[in-house]
Amino acid sequence: MKILVTVKRVEDPEAKIKVKPDGTGIVTEGINYKVNPFDEIAVEEGLRLRDAHGGEVVIVSCGSEASTTEVRSALAMGADRGILVKTDQTLDPDAVARILVKLVEQESPDLVIMGKQAVDDDQNQAGQRFAQYMGWGQATQASKRANLESEDEKARKPGLVISGETVEVTREVDGGLEDVRLKLPALVSADLRLNLPRYASLPGIMKAKKKPFQNLTPEELGVDITPKITAKRFLSPPMRQAGEMVPDVPTLIKKLAEEAKAI
Amino acid sequence: MAEFQCDVRDLKFALLEQARIEKLFDHPRFEELDRDTVEAILDEAYKFARNQMAPMNPIGDREGASFDPATGKVTMPAPFKETYDLYTANGWLGFVHNPDYGGQGMPYSLGMAVNDLFFGGCLSFSLGPLLTTGAAHLIETFGNDELKKIYLENMYTGKWTGTMCLTEAGAGSDVGAVRARARKEGDYYLIEGEKIFISFGEHDLSENIIHAVLARTEGAPKGTRGISLFLVPKTRVNADGTLGEDNDVKCTGIEHKMGIHASPTCTLTFGENGRCKGWLLGEENKGMRAMFQMMNEARIQVGLQGASLANAAYQYSLQYAKERVQGKDILAGKGSPDVTIDRHPDVRQMLLQQKAIGEGTRALLLRTGFFLDMAEVSTDPEEKERYNGLVELLTPIAKGYSTDQGFKATELAIQVLGGYGYLSEYPVEQYMRDMKIASIYEGTNGIQALDLIGRKLPARDGADMKNLIGMMTKSVQPHASHPLLAADVAIFTKARDALVAGATHFAKVGRDRPLSPILNATAFLDLMGSVVVGWLLLEQALIAWPRFEDICRAKNVDALDSKATRGICEEDPDAAYLHDKIKVAQFNARRNLALCPAKAAILQAGDESAMEAML
Repeated sequence: MKILVTVKRVEDPEAKIKVKPDGTGIVTEGINYKVNPFDEIAVEEGLRLRDAHGGEVVIVSCGSEASTTEVRSALAMGADRGILVKTDQTLDPDAVARILVKLVEQESPDLVIMGKQAVDDDQNQAGQRFAQYMGWGQATQASKRANLESEDEKARKPGLVISGETVEVTREVDGGLEDVRLKLPALVSADLRLNLPRYASLPGIMKAKKKPFQNLTPEELGVDITPKITAKRFLSPPMRQAGEMVPDVPTLIKKLAEEAKAI
Repeated sequence: MAEFQCDVRDLKFALLEQARIEKLFDHPRFEELDRDTVEAILDEAYKFARNQMAPMNPIGDREGASFDPATGKVTMPAPFKETYDLYTANGWLGFVHNPDYGGQGMPYSLGMAVNDLFFGGCLSFSLGPLLTTGAAHLIETFGNDELKKIYLENMYTGKWTGTMCLTEAGAGSDVGAVRARARKEGDYYLIEGEKIFISFGEHDLSENIIHAVLARTEGAPKGTRGISLFLVPKTRVNADGTLGEDNDVKCTGIEHKMGIHASPTCTLTFGENGRCKGWLLGEENKGMRAMFQMMNEARIQVGLQGASLANAAYQYSLQYAKERVQGKDILAGKGSPDVTIDRHPDVRQMLLQQKAIGEGTRALLLRTGFFLDMAEVSTDPEEKERYNGLVELLTPIAKGYSTDQGFKATELAIQVLGGYGYLSEYPVEQYMRDMKIASIYEGTNGIQALDLIGRKLPARDGADMKNLIGMMTKSVQPHASHPLLAADVAIFTKARDALVAGATHFAKVGRDRPLSPILNATAFLDLMGSVVVGWLLLEQALIAWPRFEDICRAKNVDALDSKATRGICEEDPDAAYLHDKIKVAQFNARRNLALCPAKAAILQAGDESAMEAML
């Protein structure tokens, strides 16, 4: 089976993000970038399914030339080939969804796996929009019942169960888990507890450079990426104010009621 | 707060900007490497060190390896096996070793950078792989084809581990006193004796353990000239590579130590029942020569442990100091808000001293690794000899100076944390305890100092020292009128001259007063280490400066205007990194390098009171 997995280049979640003084974006100098952590989980799931069912895992990223690094990291984990849709413009989730539609028309995968959201702008939209455009079934926030310390996990057993023309997915929902069955082809987006992504091996890193890698542009795919959402201004969250010591409980209650209006 | 952090930016800087290992990529052996791949390898190694190794470091410290006297078995703390399997499966163990035998064939310099991360992640774990590759490399160099075929691939891939069995109860620093015996029986020998302090001599990480054992054959000459080297498996290996009979090697106990608790330090008995077979590596009575190959590699790796743990401790104390609020800014008035302790001048000094030690010794180790690579790939015999000479000269410095100073850096990290640093709840005291062994094993630092003055300085009529001095001068001298660093270049020049004076003095007085150089060997090692590390830090600053200028120019700011550049550094971590490369070099020049003339004067003064004291 052919599995298409998306990866996004995002700022290292541990980096201290600073907003530019003019509010037009964040300061990018000296920031480390890496694969969106949810996408790493998507890649891992793709690899497990390929190892169980045969076929190939194709990695797709949309973004600047620099995103080559993130596609290569996924190839180093063991994916088979990579595609970068190159643009220096800011992409909104709808543009990404429409780029994916075109790629899927070319590649005809049996399954598309994405991270449920990217940790930079936390939109959680591209997958849903893509599935809607395709008219496919979608299972977002894919998880599994086995925990991440289980023997199944150690044996790298896939969380998604593919049988014939369907895939069964356990989803994270408010207050619990939900099992759904989708007809293939389908879209699945990965949540945190679907698996523990593998480390790339040294031979994997060396091989990644030699794997097939295709560069495309939105123009070549005929996709208009003019954003429908634009960021007007970036602001840092307000500094936390210092706490105040109150002499007794009645004062606390009074303040909570009158000043904070919390009760 | 993250338990283990490494400034990978600094690792990349020392490797790619300073040592410029890209030169190696033209060589056919490394043609598959490029800058991006090197960075990808370091990023992945960091990920592994942080996510897989570092979490088990405190567990290893708390639980330690455990020994069962009834069975002679050693059990490692629970997470070690899983990590070992991942570590070996991902190709990290044979990183720099021969691809014909399952190694990955990477440059030493890059291997050192990777080990910098792994040692910082969990030192006790990393010793197993280090000993394994050390023993395997001995087999590769001195073993016959049959031994290579049976053992090498299984060791470079980590399926079997290895050890170095030198020390006996009566033979520590004096290896010549080894008493273990070997009796020839056809194509093998029967080994008998007891070895102590054998790291990873017994454990449950791999299915077999291959010991490299020093022993005496019958009628061998006394001392180091009568020592031979043997390959002794824990379990014998059949001709088809499957495991056969038990080989009569027994672990009779493990030591309780100050640090590296998860590295089992074993007492091993060989041939208690007269059935322990060993196979000769190299020739009879040539064991010491073979052992020196292993020891030189291992000494550089031990030096790296000093740099690595110094950096790990520094990073932790730096993060802590940035978060811990205590006291007021000393220049601010009463009623001013409390500040984080990184604002206090004394704490800042301690942090910068740690940074100078950590990043300076790291630069030393990576540069030594690069010289080792150049010596290997060079086809010009003269160039090859020059690089080999530099490696030999720098090895005792890399080992002795880095571990002495590295220990100080871990101790300073505890001091920065204050009372909390003294608690086992915080990781810095473990770094200090784990680190202490590095100044002792693989030849104590006293032995390193004797090696430096006795063998390395006079070797090739002092040509290696001349090369090193020439190399330092060439890189620093053109900057004598540098707009920012001229004064620091001048301090370095004086320190360098002091080093030359010290070395020349030894050559002069050695004949008349043979004790004088020996009494001052350690002082000389310290002097030379200070000069070499001071040079490397200064060289880094000289590389950083034009880049820092470029960033400032792009923002229309004068790079020499420290008030104006502060804003740029606050906005741009890359500018801040380069800025602090300059500051740490200046700090080191003014507070450490500046002491070198006094250090040289001390060793020329000829004090012998230690010999005169009654004690």
